[in-house]
Amino acid sequence: MSTAKKVTGTLAIPLLTALVLECICVMNGNHVITNLKSFNNFVVYTAIVMITTMALSINLNSGRFDFSLGSIAALSAVTGAKISYAMLHGASGSAPVMLLITVLAGALLGLVSGLIYVALRLPPIITSLGVTLIFEGVLYTFTGGKYVMAEVQNASMSGFVGTWVNAAILIVVILLAMILIFDHTTFGYNYNALKNGQKVAVNTGIREVPNAVLCYVICGALMGVVGFLNAARNTNINGGQLNFGSISIMFTAFLPMFIGTYISRFSSDKLGFLLAAVCMSLLNSTFAVFSNAITASVQSIINAVLLVVFLIYLNNEQLLVGTFMNRGQKVKA
Amino acid sequence: MKTRKMTKTMLTGIALAGALAATAMTASAADLKIGVLVADVSGEEAQGFRSYYENYIAENYDVEFVYTDALEDAAGEKAAIEKFASQGCQAIISLSSSDRATQIDTCDEYGVYYAIASGVLDDELFETYKGYEYFAGQVGPGNATEFEAGKAMGEYFKAQGVTSVAMYGAFIPNPMHVFRAAGVIAGLGDTYGGTNDMYEMIGQIFADQKIDPAKVEGDVALTAYLQGYGDTTTDEINAAIQKEPEAFLSVGMATTFFTQMLNEAGIPFADIDSFTQANGTAIKEGQLVYLAGKYSSSIGPVFALIKNAVDGNPIRDEEGNAPSFSQGYLVATDGESFDEYYVADNGDAPIYDKETLDSIIGADVTYEDFKALVESK
Repeated sequence: MSTAKKVTGTLAIPLLTALVLECICVMNGNHVITNLKSFNNFVVYTAIVMITTMALSINLNSGRFDFSLGSIAALSAVTGAKISYAMLHGASGSAPVMLLITVLAGALLGLVSGLIYVALRLPPIITSLGVTLIFEGVLYTFTGGKYVMAEVQNASMSGFVGTWVNAAILIVVILLAMILIFDHTTFGYNYNALKNGQKVAVNTGIREVPNAVLCYVICGALMGVVGFLNAARNTNINGGQLNFGSISIMFTAFLPMFIGTYISRFSSDKLGFLLAAVCMSLLNSTFAVFSNAITASVQSIINAVLLVVFLIYLNNEQLLVGTFMNRGQKVKA
Repeated sequence: MKTRKMTKTMLTGIALAGALAATAMTASAADLKIGVLVADVSGEEAQGFRSYYENYIAENYDVEFVYTDALEDAAGEKAAIEKFASQGCQAIISLSSSDRATQIDTCDEYGVYYAIASGVLDDELFETYKGYEYFAGQVGPGNATEFEAGKAMGEYFKAQGVTSVAMYGAFIPNPMHVFRAAGVIAGLGDTYGGTNDMYEMIGQIFADQKIDPAKVEGDVALTAYLQGYGDTTTDEINAAIQKEPEAFLSVGMATTFFTQMLNEAGIPFADIDSFTQANGTAIKEGQLVYLAGKYSSSIGPVFALIKNAVDGNPIRDEEGNAPSFSQGYLVATDGESFDEYYVADNGDAPIYDKETLDSIIGADVTYEDFKALVESK
């Protein structure tokens, strides 16, 4: 594939999305990004979507459907919030300390989730449902079902998401780390081999169990970052998420995951996830512009319709391309 | 064989004794056991109310309070009352308003007294239930008071010269929030659906199940509106902040959810909530500029209504019906006025302290005694 085609293929969807949405806004006397506050929100939301999408894709690409991502994000965030608040009482430096603890807690919860999966040897979808219920139960017990607020409402936390810079740094660091881990290490080579042909990879001597457990640990750490960002952005953590109340976070990552996977045909899948997250964030910013007219429920419907339309396109891509090419040839003839 | 039989009998006896002991331990030691229905377990107002009951009332009277988790719907409220009744609660105090008619019906069915401590029944519903034997009454701001509280807030900001506001409708169609929201719009000098009449406005808001910004007209523009709390709320509040309103007016719970965001954005805001420590910090150091609030011990008279009813002296009005007492809001617009009410209602010496409550608890207490005291506070 030529470089020009790669660049065009990689940037086509985000550029087209930006163009269409900006046109819609301009026609209504607005812009997608209206001021610095909206740009901050745009970058923070991009970070949340990109990281969630990466966490979802790591296991899903290997055939492991993981419902526990949301519960890991919430439980690790509560752990980080409680410990950092006990240490600093919301003083300066609370945000980076909470981020560090939350990532460690997320990795630990991911390890637990991974060990349960490899120990039980049940289908991952079953295991992850059980793990989700356990983590949600622990979260509820830990918080008494209340929102955790005082621990995350301080100047350090609001300052962290009050500027786009910190979120941008997180995006760059995590993107580079993911490229390094999954494309340039033995673990990554093994992961890709297992992903593309599990049986063959195992027969060549690759150890699947440690690889799977490490995947869960990385997912957990990533969801720790998401939990932290959500806590800072929402200024609270919902401690009452029982009966799969936490799994909705996973569904926000489906559309960007499919878009990112499509973009990865022309470049890296990690870059694809970033660009897909940019598309979703542009859409979110457009919703903000039209917030008085487009309610939250309508936004959910639009997101769902876009997901379905994109899946229809992916599943009928060859058919559509063939139809258009035939029509082009008929016109030429 | 005999030894085995003896062992079996002993084990059965020990198990039975253990079970009886456990039953005895879980049974309430207090004379009066009250179940409290709560929809909000996180807000400072809810925690202030709980602290007053558990740390002050329970210390000074022979009573035990048991609480629900956060109730989300009518089915949860009904189930909670049934559970409380089975646990031996003699009365229910309601701070949850999904379906109060069902709450009263359920309490009546199980023969437990019932009183409302937050909000009041609408007039039609009150007429229906005021004669029920187990409905002990309601103490709180009436619907007209809620409207006036919202209107006063709107008028305050109108007088400040604001020309654009964002608004949080809390949990509309909760009647309390509907009346407050209609009041805010009227206070700003705006109309809703072409009218500023209270009943016409609330009729439309109930029908819309929200405030429709397109129906608000007047000198003060409503740039953004949001309500409820859920997965999309952060996006909605961010969208509201991005529109740079001159003020953010809330009819409840904004101080619980949005203080940090509004402080960070530098947008002055107002709320109808309660006099709590966090709200004190928000008004002294943050952007909270107007607070119409209740104080934690304002739910003291409801406890008195229940205690009298359980003790055999249910308070009834002149016509022999359950009483409805109206409480107003106190308004603070700065740290000084906030402290005036907050300091007066601290944990050890609440406004409704034991001495005050004792004046409306007892076999000789009348409706007039109650009315005089509640309306004086």
